[in-house]
This record gives sequence, structure tokens and C-alpha cells, in this order.
Amino acid sequence: MSLKHSGINRLAYVRYSLDDPKLEKTRIFYKEKLGLMETSSTQSSLQLRCWHEPYAFTTMIESSSSPRLTEIGFQVRDSKDLVDLKLKIESAGVLIRSEEDGVVNGVGESIVFTVPHGPQLRLFYAMKQLGYPTGHVSPDWVTPKSIRGTPAPMFLNHVAVTSDNPQATVDFLTNILDFFISEKIITDDSGKLTSALLFRMSKNVGGQEISIFPGPAGKLHHVAYTKDDASDILLDGQYLRNDGVNIEIMGPTRQLYGNTFSLHFRDDFGVRLELCSGGRMTDPHPEFKPVTWTESQATRALSFYDDENMETNFLSHSL
Amino acid sequence: MAVTRLNYVSLYVTDLDLAKKHYEEVVGLRVTDVTKNQVYFQSSDSQNHHCVIINASDRAGIEHIGFKVSDPSDIKEIKLVSENYGLETSDVSAGEILGIGEGVKIKLPSGHYLNFFYHADVIGYANGMFNPKSIADEVMGVNPLSHLDHLLVTCEDPAKTIKFLQEVLDFNVTETASAPDGSIIAGFTTVGNTMHNIAFAGGPNGGLHHIAFYVYDRADVIRRTDLLKSRNVPTMEFGLTRHGIAGVTTVYFFDPSGNRNEFQCGAYETPGVPNRVELVTWDVDSLMGKGGFYYEAAVEPKFFQTVS
Repeated sequence: MSLKHSGINRLAYVRYSLDDPKLEKTRIFYKEKLGLMETSSTQSSLQLRCWHEPYAFTTMIESSSSPRLTEIGFQVRDSKDLVDLKLKIESAGVLIRSEEDGVVNGVGESIVFTVPHGPQLRLFYAMKQLGYPTGHVSPDWVTPKSIRGTPAPMFLNHVAVTSDNPQATVDFLTNILDFFISEKIITDDSGKLTSALLFRMSKNVGGQEISIFPGPAGKLHHVAYTKDDASDILLDGQYLRNDGVNIEIMGPTRQLYGNTFSLHFRDDFGVRLELCSGGRMTDPHPEFKPVTWTESQATRALSFYDDENMETNFLSHSL
Repeated sequence: MAVTRLNYVSLYVTDLDLAKKHYEEVVGLRVTDVTKNQVYFQSSDSQNHHCVIINASDRAGIEHIGFKVSDPSDIKEIKLVSENYGLETSDVSAGEILGIGEGVKIKLPSGHYLNFFYHADVIGYANGMFNPKSIADEVMGVNPLSHLDHLLVTCEDPAKTIKFLQEVLDFNVTETASAPDGSIIAGFTTVGNTMHNIAFAGGPNGGLHHIAFYVYDRADVIRRTDLLKSRNVPTMEFGLTRHGIAGVTTVYFFDPSGNRNEFQCGAYETPGVPNRVELVTWDVDSLMGKGGFYYEAAVEPKFFQTVS
């Protein structure tokens, strides 16, 4: 059947490391303050998921004295996709490492490579499933009691990274991995690309799975999680502040860039996190047209409510 | 490639002027084209030519449903595999439906017609595509709508149509409701990562239960419900509620011809491809209780019986 949703079909996980030898502070922040659920752990690794997710994990944090964004995982449809994409990636002159089943706990056979000027990605077609925490039979789609009183997001929404050559990074993502651009920022004078939001999924919230901001190659800008709507996010901001979490100066704001309603904050190690709702429905189709912004409008686009006070720090990577 | 998006629904209405007023002022869509017997509408935050067509008729109900494919060759393939499956097909020429390129229309076992096409004119978002305006502040008394999210249609044997969509056209079945004997009485299918684009439930073949529009905030569902009630638009028995299935905040109401509409808000996301994740299943008691309306945990049979 050639009529098939092939290629990358899902943002599977973000994996990074923090300078936290026993991951105790990490565990407290991500479970008790953010409201993710722990699924598996070792001495130096913690796997977490959101309460509405059926897979083994969507956030993986490891302990390291040199913390960094390790990789972003994407799931493809089947083994044929992995073979096809491997050929395409190699033909673009990018080195690939093939790895056996289980190199990452819960992930099957995979290929690993670094996007030009961007992050490391891992592609695979099989991921361990634990089932929905609510169960699969007549479930109550309600936040589990153990994590109420925290943001307890529903899904990993997108991962934002920096690139020292956004055009090259975005070209690779669109031409080789078949991503689509939902929005982009270009310079006013020469039209040079500085940022883009990219998607493969067709979903209601966020309009992106990976986004590119200018900066050093392959650093983490932020990790975003999905919330139902803006009212939730206002309440979540209260829970976070009450738990001593550092909320970025913009506070809750409309991000016209992506048309989301968002709140940005930092984990205890300075990693920028986001709760987002809204955003336009995406359509993975060759004729889908992106919204284009010019840099002179970027502050309005990034923080509509606080465009005069927008922290220039917001534009920098956080890990 | 693949079927990528539920692009539009085409409805029959008994009074074109009243229906136009409804979809423009009550639902909050923008009019994008008008012919003698049709009006085309699009939501503020969808970029193609239309998401709803209304057709002057002597009845209410669904005329056909439009899905977009991601490769022009998909049209021929869908024609072929549908005919091999024993379904009726007919070619649709470019422009026959305004703003839509050539396609193939197939008749599902459920009696519904689906038009599959590659091209839809891009008219852009209401706020523009280049340094867009910040907010849409010229709408007719309601906030901007995100998009046409899904529709629920009725047929005598939901399982038969769902099987075709899943096995032949690569739709993803996310949830089903089953009778005590195990037969499927309702099923939810999607071509992307939302919970459903088209759902099927027991009832007359070719019937329409409702079309649903996605709104951004639950506060907006409340505001819209206030407006529906104050404008005397007929709503369903519980007014604003939450579906246990999908977990969305919702309100149902009717257009002047009796086609049911829904406003809904909820972020439910599915892992995207057929057979990837174990089905979520509902039994009859749950379907007619918390699965239907979560707060009230009760569903009047007329909720399912009223179709157009």
C-alpha cells in the first residue's frame, strides 16, 4: 500500500543531562513541581512521561557533570522508513550511526545523526508502550490524583533548539526529513532566515514539534508541554510560583509566533520549559503555507503582551 | 503518500440566507465564496478556501466530506483501491467545488460521500500570512475559530466502514464503543494526531450527527454558550458539558435547518498511525453515561437518535 502515513509520525522524546549526581533535585522538580510521571530509572537516568501518554517515556534526563541536550527522538512508521531515511540522510553527506534495539531503554533499533548546525536526532520505529495511565477501557481522562496541584501537562509538545546556521538546519529538516514549516522569522533587509517552527504531526496545539532559534549549534532553547487551554496555564503559573519556580519575566503571554498562549519558566538547573495551548491546526501537506515574520516584528510575535519589556535573555539557549 | 486532513464538509440546508447568517454570526466563520445555491465559509485560523459549504436544498444533512491527500497520485490510487473494494467512485474536476482541485469522490459503505483531492486554494489566515495582525477584531460578536475539527456521522454498520478506512485508506482508529456482544456501535478515526476527524455511530445510513469546530479556550466555550442561549439558538439538553470520551469541553446546538453543530475545546493527541497504540474502548453503560456527558453521567437516547 503506497497510501500510507510514512516517515516521521511522532515527536517521541527529548533527552538531556543535568549536573545532579543522584538526580534527587531533578526528580523533585519534574515530578512534584511540574507533574510528570516517573516510568523507569537507574542511578544516573530518569525516564518520565505525561499522564495522557501511552509510551515508555517522553522526557529522559541523565546525570552528567557536563550537562547538555543529548538528542531528540522521533518515531517513524516502520522499518522501511528507517532504511529509506538512512539513505536520504547519507546522501546529504551526514554521518549516521546505526544502533541495536535497547541502546536507549525502551527504544528499538535506531539511527542516530546530527542535523547540520543543529541537534542530534534519533529515529526508530518501535517504542515500548506502558498503556495510558488512565487505562484503555472506559477511561476517566482526568489528571491522576497524585499529580493534581501541579501543571501535570498532557503531552510533550515541542523541543526548541538553537542553530548557528538556521537556514542549513531548516533545509535539512524540510528537504531530508520532510518537515513542514508553520511559521518563520526572516531579516527585514535581506530576507535571511533566522528562526522557524517545524512540524510533521497534525495536531491541535502548538503547531510545531521542533523549532529553530539563532544561537550556537545544537543547544537546547526550551522544552514545551501541552495544556488544554489558557485558563489552565494561568492556574499552573500559580502552582509553579507557589513551589518557588522561577517564571520568566514575560509571565503568561500570547505568542503570536505560533499563535499559542504560553508560560515560560526554568527548572532548578536553568533549563527553560514552556506550557503551551492554542496554535493553529497543522497540515503536513506540500502546499501548506507558513506565516512569515520579519525581525522588526519579532518582539510582538514572541510576546504580544510584553513586547516592550521582553527579556532579551529569552532569545538565548538554556542548556 | 497519505490522506492528511479533514478539509471541509458540504451540508444541505433548507434556507440558504438563514444558514448563511448562522455560520457567519453564530459560529463565527468568514464567508469566502458565494454562488447562486451555495455559500462557502472558512474559519479564521485555517488557510484553505473553505471548511464548510452550505447547499440550498429541500432537506438538511450531509452532502459530502472533503479530505486532502499529500500527493497528486493518491487520487488515482484511492479510486483504484475503492473500486477494487466494490465502492462506487466518480471523478471530480478542478473547480467543480470552488477552491478545490481535481479529486475522486467515493461512496462509503455507510452511504457517505468522501471527496479526496490534492489541491485546495490557500486564502491565508484571517489575520494574514506576513507579519500578521495580532487579533481578529472584526468578527461578528464571537471570537475567531481555529478549525473544523471533526464530524460524527451515522450508519447501520459502523464496523464495515471503519474497517475500509483503516485497512485501505490508512486511517487511524483511536477509540471504539462496543455492544455486550462485542459488535462496534461507534468508532473514532483520524488521519493525523487528533483524536478523531470522522467518527461513525449506529443510525441511518448517510446521516449526520454533528460537525465540530475547535475553539481555543474553555472560557470561550462558556462565552459561546452564553451567546447561544441569549440568541435563542437551540442547544442540546445539557448545554455546556464535558465529553468523557476525548475529555473535551463542549456545547451542541443546531443550525436553522436542523444540522447539529458543536463547539469544543480539548488538546487530546493520539500517536498518529493505525494500530500503533492499543485501542481505547467503551462499553454501552459508559457510552450512555460518563463517556457521553462526564458531569451528568447520563445521555438521553435522543442525543444519538437526532440526526440530519
